[in-house]
Amino acid sequence: MLDGGPTGGDVLRRAIAGQRRHVAGASLLGTAHQACEAMVPVVIGLVIDQAVATGSSGALLRWLLVLAGLFLVLSSCYRIGARMGERAGEQAAHLLRRDLGARVLDPRGGADKDRLPGVLATIATSDAKRVGGVATVLPYGVSALAGLAISAVALLRISVPLGLLVLLGIPPLLWLGHRISLPLERRSGTEQEHAAQASGIATDLVSGLRVLKGFGAEAAAVDRYRRTSQDSLAAALRAAGSRAWHDGAILALTGIFIAIIGLVGAHLAMSGDISVGDLVAAVGLAQFLLGPFQLLTYVNGQLAQGRASADRIASVLAAPPAVPAGAAAPAEPVAGALRLRGVRHGALRGVDLDIRPGSLVGVVAKDPATAADLLVCLGREAVPDEGSIELDGVGLSELDPVGTRRAILVAHHDADLFEGTLLDNVLAGGEGDAAGAAPALRAAAADEVAGTLPDGLGTLIDERGRSLSGGQRQRVALARALAADPPVLVVHDPTTAVDTVTESRIAGRLRELREGRTTILVTTSPALLATADRVVVLDGGTVTADGPHTELAAADAAYRSVVLA
Amino acid sequence: MTATSAPAAPDATTNENGRTMSTAGTPDRALLPTATGAQTLAVVGPLLRRHRGLAVVAVTVLLVGTGIGLLTAPLLGHIVDQVVQRRGADALTWPMILLVAVAVGRGAATAVGSSLVARLGETVLASLREQFIERALRLPLERVEKAGSGDLTSRVTGDVALIAQTVRQALPEFSRSVFTIVLTLVGLAVLDWRFALVVLIAAPVHYFTVRWYMSRAIPVYAAHRVATGALQHQLLDSVGGVRTVRAFRLTGRHVDLVGERSQSAVDLALRGNRLVTGFFSRLNIAEFLGLTSVLVTGFFLVDNGSVSIGTATAAALYFHSLFNPLNAALVLIDDAQSAGASLARLVGVSTLPGEVEPDRPAAPADGSVRVTALSHTYVTGRPVLHDVDLTVRDGERVALVGASGAGKTTLAKLIAGIHQPSGGSVALGGVDSRELGPAGIRRAVTLISQEVHVFAGALSDDLRLARPEATDDELRAALEKVDALSWVEELPDGLATVVGEGGHRLTVTQAQHLALARLVLADPPVAILDEATADAGSAGARTLETAAARALSGRTSLIVAHRLTQAATADRVVVLDGGRVVESGTHEELVAAGGRYAALWGAWAESRREAVTG
Repeated sequence: MLDGGPTGGDVLRRAIAGQRRHVAGASLLGTAHQACEAMVPVVIGLVIDQAVATGSSGALLRWLLVLAGLFLVLSSCYRIGARMGERAGEQAAHLLRRDLGARVLDPRGGADKDRLPGVLATIATSDAKRVGGVATVLPYGVSALAGLAISAVALLRISVPLGLLVLLGIPPLLWLGHRISLPLERRSGTEQEHAAQASGIATDLVSGLRVLKGFGAEAAAVDRYRRTSQDSLAAALRAAGSRAWHDGAILALTGIFIAIIGLVGAHLAMSGDISVGDLVAAVGLAQFLLGPFQLLTYVNGQLAQGRASADRIASVLAAPPAVPAGAAAPAEPVAGALRLRGVRHGALRGVDLDIRPGSLVGVVAKDPATAADLLVCLGREAVPDEGSIELDGVGLSELDPVGTRRAILVAHHDADLFEGTLLDNVLAGGEGDAAGAAPALRAAAADEVAGTLPDGLGTLIDERGRSLSGGQRQRVALARALAADPPVLVVHDPTTAVDTVTESRIAGRLRELREGRTTILVTTSPALLATADRVVVLDGGTVTADGPHTELAAADAAYRSVVLA
Repeated sequence: MTATSAPAAPDATTNENGRTMSTAGTPDRALLPTATGAQTLAVVGPLLRRHRGLAVVAVTVLLVGTGIGLLTAPLLGHIVDQVVQRRGADALTWPMILLVAVAVGRGAATAVGSSLVARLGETVLASLREQFIERALRLPLERVEKAGSGDLTSRVTGDVALIAQTVRQALPEFSRSVFTIVLTLVGLAVLDWRFALVVLIAAPVHYFTVRWYMSRAIPVYAAHRVATGALQHQLLDSVGGVRTVRAFRLTGRHVDLVGERSQSAVDLALRGNRLVTGFFSRLNIAEFLGLTSVLVTGFFLVDNGSVSIGTATAAALYFHSLFNPLNAALVLIDDAQSAGASLARLVGVSTLPGEVEPDRPAAPADGSVRVTALSHTYVTGRPVLHDVDLTVRDGERVALVGASGAGKTTLAKLIAGIHQPSGGSVALGGVDSRELGPAGIRRAVTLISQEVHVFAGALSDDLRLARPEATDDELRAALEKVDALSWVEELPDGLATVVGEGGHRLTVTQAQHLALARLVLADPPVAILDEATADAGSAGARTLETAAARALSGRTSLIVAHRLTQAATADRVVVLDGGRVVESGTHEELVAAGGRYAALWGAWAESRREAVTG
């Protein structure tokens, strides 16, 4: 799916083709339903003509039985057809959602570039639903066309001039309606924008409630909301006004149209060209016909929305991967030797670095951006603009990203926890069980975190770990990285929110636990750096110093200002 | 309206509506209350009464419009009669002119009536949401946290939007449909009272169908809302944590999780659809019964000469034209019901007591803080603070130090008035906090915690929350004071840059810079920094410490810090352990004393000292 990348049209076509049976079934049944609906006024006309006008109770009974049959078919067709259509839409949306999830979370990345999580979530929910919705409304479109055809035939059979009048009159009527609704669409767009803004501000203020209370800004916040709410009200009133005039105009136009049909029909009936029952049926059909036409307009609108949504979905699905696939898996067992040569990427301006297998290396970056770019390259989230990174002598670009990450685990500073128990989170990266995770928990002092929580390791963590304090979250995330036990572990600022005593304990145990496997600590914490075999300093995007922490701290004033300040 | 059994008391326990909206796995949360029907009326009633005149005019105009519209069928019936009686083409002129007049009149009245109804609905809606947000923002934080942040957020987003949608889409259609139904019945009665009587045969079918539908649909829709919420939540969880997902090779598992949540939302949507389709196909029975009755009645009435064929035709057309408004009104009962439930959830919050301000709030004399015998307990039996006594002089800088869980944050929150202490008292500037009232406390104290939030909108708007009347120059001065002006001016639009959710993303360090600038603007005598620099990473922390020092100058300050450089430069260090003050003194005194603080400092300085000496 990644290669070549689908267009919006492809997405839409595949979504519908995947549900073709349901779509076809729903179209067929919808057509039958429309046909029956169209026949109801015809039968009313027949009852008037053949029973009420003549006083024949036999005819009355006969036609009422026909009416009963008509309703039975109409009702069943509607029920089954509508269910099929809905199933097609929901199922298509579901499949798209899975594809989107798989693409966004794909190891090669790329789809989440420049897109906020909220936007991607909206694409996977609202846009997928709209594209799926096309599969649901398509049968309506088909049945509306069928309804049109059936009523046209019925009308033309009653009277050719009357039928032509109705059929030729409706399109200009709808065109007029459309012209009238153009300003409406603009205004309701503005209305939605304002409403979204008001709702966005309210949500934002409530989610920042704690911060807001911290500096006593409730009154200012209420004022701000009131202003946007009033703006939203003004826009809503403008939109409601034009909507009301639009509805009124449509009502007036259709009323006039029906009057004209009535007039022409009455003249035909007076001259004996059609019967009274035909006149009744013609007026009824003219009223009915507006339904399918409006339905077609609606389907058209949904199609337009569906196309726009399909384009958005396609742009995510077709996003180029951030890193190439690469075929080879790293050779087992991974020794863990890293070799960087002339790596340039973002803030990195030609980094040369050799890391021996099994060593514990500290990396101090004066500029946080340098650290971030180094982590991006090591984690294979991006290919360096220039230069090479080799693991055990093999370039990372030749390796498959999943395999690379099995060998090199980059634990980010802002690592996210997921919904689940504390233990689930810690075990997420490895195959072990609770017993196997114990050393990692202990090393990260996450066992203490578990001790303070109501259900210990079984405590549920929700909202990406927001129920934990910053320090607790960091320790659980570190335990997770340690429990995964990768041949090469890169950790970034793992203890910034942890108190000093605990931090120095973690530093010692981390060294012990990682004995014999390559570990890179990207940090400026002296407690952690003191445990490293050597420390590499990155300044101005290149390596400017390299040596044990104690030596650097003694000899290098710049180092002291970064690490020991 | 739902049968909500929540008591009026602010600490209403979980009820059915509430539970469906809560996030998973937290059954013991004290959700915010849901209003009873009476409470809802008590709040909405006065709002409606304020627009009584508008309401009367709107209803009248809509009634007139609908009434005019109903003349169509008898006019068509009249035309049929003219045809049957072969009156000649001239007899059709007047009915035709009238038909056109009816169409135009009806359209105009509908336009005016609908816009009036919308004005009424939107205006009341705006007052309602403003009342709700105002109360929500003024709720004691303790109460919000007890309910879980999701509860309030779901009301702010979901319920407000649902009511707005109902007012915007359902209300105009519902009112038009109801008027049409009522007046059509009147019209049928005018044609012949027996027509109006027989169509009532269909009413029991309507009644039982609606009952059947509502009893089944409400739980399914509630479950569907929860399922879509869970899906959204899962998407944000997985997509928001995508780097972690990739780093730990969790793609397969998270795609499956998204798939599972999506599937359960789909299943529930389809169950809901089965109910809707069942609902409409049951209404078809009512349509058939009603139509048949009218036709049969017409047959007999024409037969015995009571009415003309035209009248019988008009009656049948009347009833046929009722199909759509009836369906619309009945299905909208469902919308009205869920809007009613949402309304009850908004009003439930609106009726909660806000923070209680004292009758005559006192003013603090200076920036001193005095904590006397303060104790606090979140969970019964697990006290967090015991008998803490602490005095901070005006202008003094005190560092609060201790291991995680020592009670530092709780002490900070109690002083800032975020929580009410379980025992003991806090005095600010010589005045007891209870006499200051919540507003007074917040004027006196600003608390910056490690939780960062950049308010969405222009950066200048974010800052003005702290001082709404501040000029751009004052904002710049505040930014300058915390060393943030340079990066702010480098932003694409400087002070006007849109930041926060959906805008320019700021780093944690930048966000806390803004928090410090807000502190400068709010200019309180007392400031509390609760690990405000922790999440910024070590490099950011140092930048922020310098900025914080400048922002705090001239203020009494309490700094909760684990980076002990901040403690070393404070006037005094207070060490908390297990919820008690165990040491207090200057950095030098405490280091010399060789107690808890000396141990902490030793651990902190070890690597540094060893480095420097070694």
